[in-house]
Amino acid sequence: MSPEAHPLTRRSFLRAGTAAALGLTAAGCGFASEDDKAAQQAVETPIDVKVDGDLVYFNWADFIDPAVFEGFEKEYGVKVVQSNYDSMEGMAAKLNAGNRYDIIFPTAKWSQRLAAGGKLRTIDHGRLKNAEAVFGGYDYFADPWYDPGSRHTVPFTMYKTGIGWRRDRLGDLTGSWGDLWNEQAKGKVFVLDDRDEVLGMGALKLGLDVSTEDPDDLARVTETLRSLRPRLRGFSSDSYNNLLNGNADMTQAWSGDMAAMLAQAEDPAVFGFEVAKEGAPVNSDCYAIPADAQHPGTAMLFIDYMLRPSSVKKNIEYIGYPMPVRGSEDTYSALVEPFPQCLVTASDLKDDLYFRNATAKGEQHRDTAWTDVKAG
Amino acid sequence: MAPRTRSATARPPRGGRAGGEARGGPARAEARLWTRLMLPGTLWMTGFLLASLLLVATLAFGTTDPLGNPRFGFNPDNFAALAEPAYRTVLLRSLGYALITCLICLAVAYPVAYAIALHGGRFKNLLIAAIVVPFFANYLVRMYGWSVVLSDDGPLLGALRDLGLADDGTKILQTGPGVIAGLVYGFVVFMIIPLYAAMERMDTALIEAGRDLYGGPLRTFFFVTVPATRQGAAAGCVLVFLPAMGDFVSAQLMGGPDQIMIGNLIQDKFFQGQNWPLGSALTMLLMAVLLLGMLGYLRRTRKDEAEAAR
Repeated sequence: MSPEAHPLTRRSFLRAGTAAALGLTAAGCGFASEDDKAAQQAVETPIDVKVDGDLVYFNWADFIDPAVFEGFEKEYGVKVVQSNYDSMEGMAAKLNAGNRYDIIFPTAKWSQRLAAGGKLRTIDHGRLKNAEAVFGGYDYFADPWYDPGSRHTVPFTMYKTGIGWRRDRLGDLTGSWGDLWNEQAKGKVFVLDDRDEVLGMGALKLGLDVSTEDPDDLARVTETLRSLRPRLRGFSSDSYNNLLNGNADMTQAWSGDMAAMLAQAEDPAVFGFEVAKEGAPVNSDCYAIPADAQHPGTAMLFIDYMLRPSSVKKNIEYIGYPMPVRGSEDTYSALVEPFPQCLVTASDLKDDLYFRNATAKGEQHRDTAWTDVKAG
Repeated sequence: MAPRTRSATARPPRGGRAGGEARGGPARAEARLWTRLMLPGTLWMTGFLLASLLLVATLAFGTTDPLGNPRFGFNPDNFAALAEPAYRTVLLRSLGYALITCLICLAVAYPVAYAIALHGGRFKNLLIAAIVVPFFANYLVRMYGWSVVLSDDGPLLGALRDLGLADDGTKILQTGPGVIAGLVYGFVVFMIIPLYAAMERMDTALIEAGRDLYGGPLRTFFFVTVPATRQGAAAGCVLVFLPAMGDFVSAQLMGGPDQIMIGNLIQDKFFQGQNWPLGSALTMLLMAVLLLGMLGYLRRTRKDEAEAAR
């Protein structure tokens, strides 16, 4: 698929028309109204890559090296106005409420939802000097499932989900999700406080689709997880702190958090990180420019600046997450030398174990299953 | 005699409106003044409380669009979903935790309030400030701090192990008592303040009378002080019970899979699941349960007032 912006096709016209019609009926009773055809066109207009104001930046807290911000501000004579979110849902709620940002960092699943909702500008990769290192180096992202042709996004970071554990207490593990049922770790096991990750782990263990929305599958997943429940100490996304402060012998964990832990652990050798042979969910955060961004030109310059090899190196070392940029691999391997499984490779991406968006009914089934697992 | 006269002017004259009219102009003007002064508060409550309540009530019948935005509608599914047994278990657990929290808060707050109100002397205000000021810091931050202090390899359990008072398996976090301790810590101040106020107002002559009638300190406390301050205790119970019942921070940071409270599930619906309508329906359920409890409280205070007026 061509990454350039092209004139409206019949299908996109129809889609926009339906959205507009829905918007009319929903406008009176909804919080947010759908975009109309004119907005659709505005979204598709290529962005001029030039300074058009200060950058209004919206991301997880502390997710970019401050030195990179300083460099960008100095070089282009603009200010970076920062605000943070603490969940994708929180980010979407802010966007839907009409707050205007120039650059946001949705995950794959959310990129798809936002693009489908007409909330993202298209990004012409040809206008980014450094985009070739991404799309040339990692062809997965040239046409990912969440954004055909990466028309609205540029990938930012990647991560996998696996198991972090105390090597000093448990020794070696077997490299399977079944390790969470380890007898020795009983009562000191945490799983992430995250619906998709926990249901996905159960599904992978059973050999099912990682984002299954089928009620029968979900019943099997719930049953499996119910056998894990009495062994659990808790649901917590504070994975590496739980390992560090001794509450956990073992925890489901994101690779990037484990890499970040290396900087804090006195002796990294007592910890381990493995990914399961049944499959490791992968995910990526993306750069995206909201449809109503006031300074999209500056945002384009910012993406390009972030993709420069020097910025990529600084950011990888600062946040501990690998980035799909050719030439940055050595920086990351050096950083996570004790936990080689933190690397996200081309074959990890090819396995494509991303969490997908479910249908409305499917989301409900998944929600019910999650409540079941969590509340017992 | 002095306190009597003061309370007589503060309260509306006996016999209700007829009495007020009999006393003529100034009383009515005063009543009108109070009505007017109530206006900003009433408007505020109507504007923000009732409107948001209405929003939640309507949204409970709504649906969610693909972007996760809530949509209004007429969809009874959300209430049907509440039949899931998990919700009942969690709701009952929350009720239990909140009740135990209330009782512990009472047990902690009575001696504290008593000591400050009756023996605090010139340090009274300082002591009250010492209790209140720590609560200016954000609740979440304080609880996060506790979760570090109480962790398995944390300072407290480490010290206890060194003293031989705890073994390797002892844990505080992710237990029911841990969560209740968090709730007590978070809300005990709401019990101390109304009790302190009630004891400040209490006529200490009553205690002296109790002693004169050969009541021991404990008997006097239970048969004189407690009944005389029961309105403060009731207000404190409401102030502790309501937030404890809806709390999710304590269960999240101090609790494990078997300590999840209704607040955690509601929070999940609004954030992770992005199912605002179901979250709203759960909120309505929680409010219905709390309202039942409140009705009991209101009837009790009305009875107390009626007795006081007689």
